[in-house]
Amino acid sequence: MRKLIDNDYLTLLSRLLVGGMFIYASFYKIIDPAAFAKSIWFYHLVPGKWINLMALILPWLEMTCGLAVIVGFWHRGAALWSNIMLIVFIAALASAIVRGISIDCGCFRAAESATHSAWSSLLFDIGALVFSVHLLASRSRRWMLSSR
Amino acid sequence: MIRQAIILLVLSTAVGLGGNLISPNRVDFVGKFRDLSSGDQPIVPPTAEPGDPPFVGINEAQMEFATGKPLFLDARNAEDFDCGTIPGAINIPFEALPEGDLGKYFDSTLGVAKDYPIITFCSGEDCDLSLHMGRNLKLLGYTKVAIFFGGAREWEKFGLEMQRRKSCGS
Repeated sequence: MRKLIDNDYLTLLSRLLVGGMFIYASFYKIIDPAAFAKSIWFYHLVPGKWINLMALILPWLEMTCGLAVIVGFWHRGAALWSNIMLIVFIAALASAIVRGISIDCGCFRAAESATHSAWSSLLFDIGALVFSVHLLASRSRRWMLSSR
Repeated sequence: MIRQAIILLVLSTAVGLGGNLISPNRVDFVGKFRDLSSGDQPIVPPTAEPGDPPFVGINEAQMEFATGKPLFLDARNAEDFDCGTIPGAINIPFEALPEGDLGKYFDSTLGVAKDYPIITFCSGEDCDLSLHMGRNLKLLGYTKVAIFFGGAREWEKFGLEMQRRKSCGS
Protein backbone atom coordinates (compact mmCIF):
# COMPACT_ATOMS: atom_id res chain seq x y z
CA MET A 1 0.00 0.00 0.00
CA ARG A 2 2.79 2.38 0.95
CA LYS A 3 4.49 1.62 -2.36
CA LEU A 4 1.35 2.58 -4.24
CA ILE A 5 0.92 5.82 -2.28
CA ASP A 6 4.53 6.81 -2.93
CA ASN A 7 4.37 5.96 -6.62
CA ASP A 8 5.94 8.83 -8.58
CA TYR A 9 3.46 8.78 -11.44
CA LEU A 10 0.43 8.54 -9.19
CA THR A 11 1.72 11.44 -7.11
CA LEU A 12 2.32 13.49 -10.25
CA LEU A 13 -1.25 12.74 -11.35
CA SER A 14 -2.62 13.93 -7.99
CA ARG A 15 -0.50 17.09 -8.17
CA LEU A 16 -1.75 17.94 -11.65
CA LEU A 17 -5.39 17.19 -10.85
CA VAL A 18 -5.53 19.02 -7.52
CA GLY A 19 -3.29 21.88 -8.59
CA GLY A 20 -5.04 22.31 -11.94
CA MET A 21 -8.45 22.26 -10.30
CA PHE A 22 -7.53 24.97 -7.79
CA ILE A 23 -5.92 27.20 -10.43
CA TYR A 24 -8.95 26.86 -12.70
CA ALA A 25 -11.34 27.42 -9.78
CA SER A 26 -9.54 30.57 -8.70
CA PHE A 27 -9.56 32.23 -12.10
CA TYR A 28 -13.14 33.58 -12.26
CA LYS A 29 -13.16 34.45 -8.58
CA ILE A 30 -10.04 36.60 -8.92
CA ILE A 31 -11.49 38.41 -11.93
CA ASP A 32 -14.88 39.11 -10.32
CA PRO A 33 -14.63 39.18 -6.50
CA ALA A 34 -18.02 40.89 -6.14
CA ALA A 35 -19.76 37.97 -7.81
CA PHE A 36 -17.81 35.49 -5.71
CA ALA A 37 -18.79 37.43 -2.59
CA LYS A 38 -22.41 36.89 -3.61
CA SER A 39 -21.76 33.16 -3.93
CA ILE A 40 -20.38 33.11 -0.40
CA TRP A 41 -23.33 35.10 0.90
CA PHE A 42 -25.77 32.52 -0.46
CA TYR A 43 -24.40 29.97 1.99
CA HIS A 44 -25.36 32.15 4.97
CA LEU A 45 -22.35 30.81 6.86
CA VAL A 46 -19.94 33.76 6.92
CA PRO A 47 -20.67 37.00 8.81
CA GLY A 48 -21.55 39.73 6.30
CA LYS A 49 -18.62 41.97 7.17
CA TRP A 50 -16.10 39.23 6.45
CA ILE A 51 -17.48 38.09 3.11
CA ASN A 52 -15.55 40.55 0.93
CA LEU A 53 -12.25 39.80 2.66
CA MET A 54 -12.84 36.12 2.15
CA ALA A 55 -13.74 36.73 -1.51
CA LEU A 56 -10.43 38.56 -1.98
CA ILE A 57 -8.11 36.16 -0.16
CA LEU A 58 -9.54 32.70 -0.80
CA PRO A 59 -9.12 32.72 -4.63
CA TRP A 60 -5.47 33.72 -4.28
CA LEU A 61 -4.95 31.00 -1.71
CA GLU A 62 -6.38 28.56 -4.25
CA MET A 63 -4.12 29.97 -6.96
CA THR A 64 -0.90 29.92 -4.93
CA CYS A 65 -1.61 26.46 -3.53
CA GLY A 66 -2.46 25.16 -7.00
CA LEU A 67 0.81 26.50 -8.40
CA ALA A 68 2.82 25.27 -5.41
CA VAL A 69 1.42 21.77 -5.71
CA ILE A 70 2.10 21.56 -9.43
CA VAL A 71 5.67 22.90 -9.42
CA GLY A 72 6.50 21.15 -6.15
CA PHE A 73 7.58 24.14 -4.11
CA TRP A 74 6.20 24.51 -0.57
CA HIS A 75 4.04 21.60 -1.67
CA ARG A 76 3.51 20.21 1.86
CA GLY A 77 2.00 23.46 3.07
CA ALA A 78 0.00 23.77 -0.14
CA ALA A 79 -1.30 20.21 0.21
CA LEU A 80 -2.32 20.97 3.78
CA TRP A 81 -4.30 23.99 2.56
CA SER A 82 -5.88 22.07 -0.29
CA ASN A 83 -7.16 19.51 2.21
CA ILE A 84 -8.44 22.17 4.59
CA MET A 85 -10.18 24.09 1.78
CA LEU A 86 -11.80 20.99 0.33
CA ILE A 87 -13.05 19.87 3.75
CA VAL A 88 -14.51 23.34 4.35
CA PHE A 89 -16.13 23.37 0.87
CA ILE A 90 -17.62 19.92 1.46
CA ALA A 91 -18.96 20.96 4.87
CA ALA A 92 -20.47 24.16 3.40
CA LEU A 93 -22.12 22.31 0.53
CA ALA A 94 -23.46 19.61 2.84
CA SER A 95 -24.80 22.27 5.16
CA ALA A 96 -26.54 24.03 2.27
CA ILE A 97 -28.10 20.76 1.14
CA VAL A 98 -29.31 19.94 4.65
CA ARG A 99 -30.80 23.43 5.08
CA GLY A 100 -32.48 23.22 1.68
CA ILE A 101 -30.71 26.30 0.32
CA SER A 102 -30.75 26.42 -3.45
CA ILE A 103 -27.35 27.63 -4.55
CA ASP A 104 -24.86 27.97 -7.30
CA CYS A 105 -21.90 26.51 -5.44
CA GLY A 106 -19.58 29.31 -6.58
CA CYS A 107 -16.93 26.66 -7.08
CA PHE A 108 -15.67 27.56 -10.52
CA ARG A 109 -17.27 30.79 -11.57
CA ALA A 110 -19.32 33.72 -10.43
CA ALA A 111 -22.83 33.03 -9.25
CA GLU A 112 -25.47 33.93 -11.79
CA SER A 113 -28.28 31.66 -10.88
CA ALA A 114 -29.24 29.02 -8.44
CA THR A 115 -29.39 26.24 -10.96
CA HIS A 116 -26.29 24.18 -10.33
CA SER A 117 -26.61 21.04 -8.34
CA ALA A 118 -25.04 21.21 -4.92
CA TRP A 119 -25.00 17.44 -4.94
CA SER A 120 -22.77 17.18 -8.03
CA SER A 121 -20.41 19.79 -6.57
CA LEU A 122 -20.30 17.87 -3.31
CA LEU A 123 -19.42 14.62 -5.05
CA PHE A 124 -16.78 16.40 -7.15
CA ASP A 125 -15.17 17.87 -4.04
CA ILE A 126 -15.15 14.52 -2.26
CA GLY A 127 -13.39 13.02 -5.28
CA ALA A 128 -10.85 15.86 -5.26
CA LEU A 129 -10.28 15.33 -1.54
CA VAL A 130 -9.16 11.76 -2.22
CA PHE A 131 -6.38 13.03 -4.49
CA SER A 132 -5.58 15.85 -2.08
CA VAL A 133 -5.19 13.47 0.87
CA HIS A 134 -2.93 11.38 -1.33
CA LEU A 135 -0.71 14.44 -1.84
CA LEU A 136 -0.23 14.75 1.91
CA ALA A 137 0.44 11.06 2.37
CA SER A 138 2.82 10.54 -0.54
CA ARG A 139 6.58 10.68 0.10
CA SER A 140 7.42 10.96 -3.59
CA ARG A 141 9.53 14.03 -4.39
CA ARG A 142 10.18 13.33 -8.03
CA TRP A 143 9.66 16.17 -10.55
CA MET A 144 9.47 18.76 -7.78
CA LEU A 145 11.36 22.03 -7.47
CA SER A 146 11.96 21.47 -3.78
CA SER A 147 12.09 18.29 -1.72
CA ARG A 148 10.82 19.98 1.46
CA MET B 1 4.61 22.07 6.70
CA ILE B 2 2.84 24.53 9.04
CA ARG B 3 5.44 27.19 8.25
CA GLN B 4 4.89 26.74 4.52
CA ALA B 5 1.13 26.94 5.02
CA ILE B 6 1.47 30.20 6.95
CA ILE B 7 3.74 31.69 4.27
CA LEU B 8 1.22 30.73 1.57
CA LEU B 9 -1.61 32.34 3.56
CA VAL B 10 0.34 35.55 4.13
CA LEU B 11 1.35 35.67 0.47
CA SER B 12 -2.24 35.11 -0.72
CA THR B 13 -3.56 37.73 1.68
CA ALA B 14 -1.01 40.29 0.52
CA VAL B 15 -1.66 39.66 -3.18
CA GLY B 16 -5.44 39.49 -2.74
CA LEU B 17 -5.76 42.68 -0.72
CA GLY B 18 -3.02 44.55 -2.59
CA GLY B 19 -4.38 43.54 -5.97
CA ASN B 20 -7.82 44.75 -4.99
CA LEU B 21 -6.45 48.27 -4.59
CA ILE B 22 -5.56 48.48 -8.28
CA SER B 23 -8.18 46.14 -9.73
CA PRO B 24 -10.90 47.60 -11.98
CA ASN B 25 -13.28 45.18 -10.24
CA ARG B 26 -12.30 46.21 -6.73
CA VAL B 27 -14.67 45.69 -3.83
CA ASP B 28 -14.85 47.22 -0.37
CA PHE B 29 -12.67 45.37 2.12
CA VAL B 30 -15.49 45.30 4.65
CA GLY B 31 -18.59 43.72 3.17
CA LYS B 32 -21.99 45.34 3.56
CA PHE B 33 -23.78 42.04 3.48
CA ARG B 34 -26.25 41.52 6.26
CA ASP B 35 -27.90 38.38 7.45
CA LEU B 36 -31.59 39.01 7.66
CA SER B 37 -33.90 36.69 9.49
CA SER B 38 -36.73 37.01 6.99
CA GLY B 39 -37.48 38.72 3.72
CA ASP B 40 -36.31 35.94 1.43
CA GLN B 41 -39.49 36.14 -0.59
CA PRO B 42 -39.98 39.27 -2.67
CA ILE B 43 -43.15 41.27 -2.29
CA VAL B 44 -45.09 40.96 -5.53
CA PRO B 45 -47.96 43.39 -6.12
CA PRO B 46 -51.36 42.00 -7.03
CA THR B 47 -51.18 44.08 -10.20
CA ALA B 48 -48.10 42.21 -11.42
CA GLU B 49 -48.45 40.68 -14.84
CA PRO B 50 -46.61 37.98 -16.74
CA GLY B 51 -43.70 39.57 -18.54
CA ASP B 52 -43.01 42.12 -15.82
CA PRO B 53 -39.39 42.48 -14.75
CA PRO B 54 -38.47 40.15 -11.86
CA PHE B 55 -39.25 41.18 -8.30
CA VAL B 56 -36.50 41.05 -5.70
CA GLY B 57 -36.89 40.79 -1.94
CA ILE B 58 -35.07 42.73 0.74
CA ASN B 59 -32.35 40.08 1.05
CA GLU B 60 -31.52 40.14 -2.63
CA ALA B 61 -31.82 43.93 -2.81
CA GLN B 62 -29.37 44.45 0.03
CA MET B 63 -27.09 41.80 -1.41
CA GLU B 64 -27.04 43.58 -4.78
CA PHE B 65 -26.47 46.84 -2.90
CA ALA B 66 -23.51 45.26 -1.14
CA THR B 67 -21.86 44.44 -4.45
CA GLY B 68 -22.10 48.13 -5.37
CA LYS B 69 -22.97 47.31 -8.95
CA PRO B 70 -26.66 47.85 -9.73
CA LEU B 71 -28.16 51.28 -10.20
CA PHE B 72 -30.91 51.84 -7.64
CA LEU B 73 -33.61 54.01 -9.13
CA ASP B 74 -36.06 55.75 -6.79
CA ALA B 75 -39.28 56.42 -8.70
CA ARG B 76 -40.90 58.68 -6.06
CA ASN B 77 -41.12 62.44 -6.12
CA ALA B 78 -38.13 64.56 -5.12
CA GLU B 79 -39.48 65.35 -1.66
CA ASP B 80 -39.88 61.70 -0.66
CA PHE B 81 -36.46 60.99 -2.16
CA ASP B 82 -34.89 63.74 -0.06
CA CYS B 83 -36.57 62.48 3.11
CA GLY B 84 -34.88 59.12 2.88
CA THR B 85 -33.76 56.71 0.20
CA ILE B 86 -31.37 53.86 -0.43
CA PRO B 87 -27.83 55.27 -0.33
CA GLY B 88 -26.49 56.09 -3.77
CA ALA B 89 -29.89 55.79 -5.46
CA ILE B 90 -30.78 58.23 -8.19
CA ASN B 91 -34.18 59.87 -8.39
CA ILE B 92 -36.36 59.89 -11.48
CA PRO B 93 -39.92 60.71 -10.41
CA PHE B 94 -42.13 58.52 -12.55
CA GLU B 95 -45.03 60.93 -12.31
CA ALA B 96 -42.91 63.76 -13.71
CA LEU B 97 -41.42 62.00 -16.71
CA PRO B 98 -41.13 64.36 -19.67
CA GLU B 99 -43.23 64.15 -22.81
CA GLY B 100 -41.58 62.92 -25.97
CA ASP B 101 -38.81 60.43 -26.55
CA LEU B 102 -38.43 58.59 -23.24
CA GLY B 103 -35.70 56.39 -24.68
CA LYS B 104 -33.38 59.33 -25.19
CA TYR B 105 -34.35 60.75 -21.81
CA PHE B 106 -33.47 57.58 -19.91
CA ASP B 107 -30.30 57.02 -21.94
CA SER B 108 -29.00 60.45 -21.00
CA THR B 109 -30.34 60.52 -17.43
CA LEU B 110 -29.30 57.03 -16.39
CA GLY B 111 -26.05 57.09 -18.33
CA VAL B 112 -25.67 53.32 -18.31
CA ALA B 113 -25.68 50.63 -20.97
CA LYS B 114 -28.90 48.80 -21.77
CA ASP B 115 -27.60 45.66 -20.10
CA TYR B 116 -26.57 47.39 -16.87
CA PRO B 117 -28.43 46.07 -13.81
CA ILE B 118 -31.09 48.48 -12.55
CA ILE B 119 -33.33 48.04 -9.50
CA THR B 120 -36.39 50.26 -9.30
CA PHE B 121 -38.17 51.00 -6.05
CA CYS B 122 -40.52 53.51 -4.43
CA SER B 123 -42.09 53.74 -0.96
CA GLY B 124 -43.37 50.24 -0.57
CA GLU B 125 -46.46 48.15 -0.97
CA ASP B 126 -48.80 51.12 -1.29
CA CYS B 127 -46.83 52.56 -4.18
CA ASP B 128 -46.68 51.10 -7.67
CA LEU B 129 -44.35 53.64 -9.28
CA SER B 130 -41.48 51.17 -9.16
CA LEU B 131 -43.59 48.67 -11.08
CA HIS B 132 -44.45 51.17 -13.83
CA MET B 133 -40.89 52.43 -13.97
CA GLY B 134 -39.60 48.88 -14.31
CA ARG B 135 -42.08 48.06 -17.06
CA ASN B 136 -41.14 51.19 -19.00
CA LEU B 137 -37.44 50.54 -18.72
CA LYS B 138 -37.96 47.01 -19.94
CA LEU B 139 -40.01 48.26 -22.90
CA LEU B 140 -37.22 50.70 -23.73
CA GLY B 141 -34.76 47.86 -24.04
CA TYR B 142 -33.09 47.75 -20.63
CA THR B 143 -32.48 44.06 -20.16
CA LYS B 144 -31.50 43.74 -16.50
CA VAL B 145 -34.26 45.57 -14.70
CA ALA B 146 -35.60 44.28 -11.39
CA ILE B 147 -38.25 45.71 -9.08
CA PHE B 148 -37.75 45.96 -5.33
CA PHE B 149 -41.39 46.37 -4.40
CA GLY B 150 -40.73 46.43 -0.67
CA GLY B 151 -39.15 49.79 -1.37
CA ALA B 152 -37.67 52.34 1.00
CA ARG B 153 -40.03 51.35 3.81
CA GLU B 154 -38.91 47.73 3.89
CA TRP B 155 -35.29 48.82 3.52
CA GLU B 156 -35.64 51.01 6.60
CA LYS B 157 -37.66 48.40 8.47
CA PHE B 158 -34.77 45.98 8.23
CA GLY B 159 -32.45 48.52 9.78
CA LEU B 160 -30.48 49.19 6.62
CA GLU B 161 -28.75 52.50 6.13
CA MET B 162 -30.84 55.34 4.69
CA GLN B 163 -29.56 58.40 2.92
CA ARG B 164 -31.44 61.50 4.10
CA ARG B 165 -31.00 64.85 2.43
CA LYS B 166 -33.35 66.60 4.80
CA SER B 167 -35.17 65.89 8.05
CA CYS B 168 -38.85 65.15 7.54
CA GLY B 169 -39.93 63.76 10.91
CA SER B 170 -41.51 60.37 11.22
